[in-house]
Amino acid sequence: MLIDFLAPILKPQAYLDPGSGSILIQMLLAAALGGAYLAKVYWKKIKKFFNKNSDVETTVEEVEPETELDQTAPDVDESKEQK
Amino acid sequence: MSERISASFRDPSGFLFKQGGKLYRQVNQAYQKQYDHLMKSGLYQAVIKSGMLIPHTEVDVTPADTESAYRVLQPELVPFISYPYEWSFSQLKEAALVTLAVHKKALEFNMILKDASAYNIQIYKGRPVLIDTLSFDFYEEGSPWVAYRQFCQHFLAPLALMVYTDVRLSQLMRVYIDGIPMDLASKLLPGKTRWNLGLGSHIHLHARSQKQNADKAVDKAKMTGKISKTAFLGLMDSLESTVRGLQWKTGGTEWGDYYDITNYSDKAFDVKKALVSEFIQEAKPSILWDLGSNNGAFSRLASEKGIFTVSSDIDPTAVEFNYQEMRRKKETSLLPLVLDLTNPSPAIGWDNAERNSFIQRGPADVVMALALIHHLAISNNVPLPVLAETFASLGEHLIIEFVPKSDSQVQKLLATRLDIFPDYEKEKFEKIFSKVFKIVKLVEIEGSQRTLYLMKRK
Repeated sequence: MLIDFLAPILKPQAYLDPGSGSILIQMLLAAALGGAYLAKVYWKKIKKFFNKNSDVETTVEEVEPETELDQTAPDVDESKEQK
Repeated sequence: MSERISASFRDPSGFLFKQGGKLYRQVNQAYQKQYDHLMKSGLYQAVIKSGMLIPHTEVDVTPADTESAYRVLQPELVPFISYPYEWSFSQLKEAALVTLAVHKKALEFNMILKDASAYNIQIYKGRPVLIDTLSFDFYEEGSPWVAYRQFCQHFLAPLALMVYTDVRLSQLMRVYIDGIPMDLASKLLPGKTRWNLGLGSHIHLHARSQKQNADKAVDKAKMTGKISKTAFLGLMDSLESTVRGLQWKTGGTEWGDYYDITNYSDKAFDVKKALVSEFIQEAKPSILWDLGSNNGAFSRLASEKGIFTVSSDIDPTAVEFNYQEMRRKKETSLLPLVLDLTNPSPAIGWDNAERNSFIQRGPADVVMALALIHHLAISNNVPLPVLAETFASLGEHLIIEFVPKSDSQVQKLLATRLDIFPDYEKEKFEKIFSKVFKIVKLVEIEGSQRTLYLMKRK
């Protein structure tokens, strides 16, 4: 049974069924994306090293949630503004 | 007497219940370790500080189930629970980003989100927050993210469909309560999205993997692979950039620029605003529903005074503008929602009781129906007595604008059809509505042919 294989990696509070197909693709993707992620983090570190005077640099993890949301605040066409 | 909330039964960690009219959350003993870690590790403080989790206090109240109880919490009360099929594009997108941001923050404290349900997010005080305090679990290196599929179904699939296929497909969330199935999303998305790295992986390949592994004994060797923390972070980062990359270009729907084509001159518009303000002040509501609110220009007359206002419209573009403005101005008393009044959200889920219908979430103190009645009475053929009854069930006060047949907007509606509405005239409207309401005030709006009423339910 699938659940027997999954038991060691699923914790007691995990009440969702993650789905076998979803787990397999996740493992595959994670392996590829992990490398890309490392490269991204190091690239940022390298950029930061060469831009010591710049104060805009943050690593991916350091981004404040407030900023993350505000980045999504969409641009609005001001001409649509109503009085 | 305590009463369990019917939306909260899946997770064995705890559940919501009501006692003496107040809402509580029971934490079960099974969740003790996780809850203590959340509270003591600094994670709770961190997510509260950034406004991403609903705050709660621990209270000394008899648990609804004393045998399994560890703690009873009293969360801050969200004044109106809304659902993903009532959100505009940016509302759902920000809900997705908050889910990932909380999950990432939790990882810093060696925890994760064990579920990623869109229903765990509510727009509260002007921003999306996680309302399920029991969603946290310990992170164990090597484990996959148990909520990956749910995140893709609840967020990624509807967002991608809204951008690449049709914004109205957010309504599929109404049919599929646990999110849009991957194979359906993959089928409905245009072929070019296969070449988008994020969507190609998390939707199309995901759907294929599900299909290949459905009802199959899974090869044990494949399952022994572990996901390192870096790989885990890489997956989250990829989900986040995929969500961020989804941009919806508004336009092309019904009323996005409605106020540019109204029958109001600038002066009449200001007169109407002043009147509506005056009527709101007289009714003194704490909760107001503005139905057919377009971009929320009139809703703000209430919300800017601190009155909690649900601002709904059928048009996803208008609601998108409304929400964008709300976020930009950091407004905290407004809730823009996509809602078709002729077919409002039904009660759905197990026993038809997991998600409430729109009407069950009422009543409001004041209902506003401005420039709306002709759409309901003429376009949708709702007889005036039926309309009056419905409005009376939605709220105690009604601020309603009567738009006569001579108005060019009504003329447009009648242009292509037979006028089968002999009752649709001002005097008859007043007579019919007077059976259910007392007309407190009526004022003809200067510079237009329309009349504004303040009514109180009898």
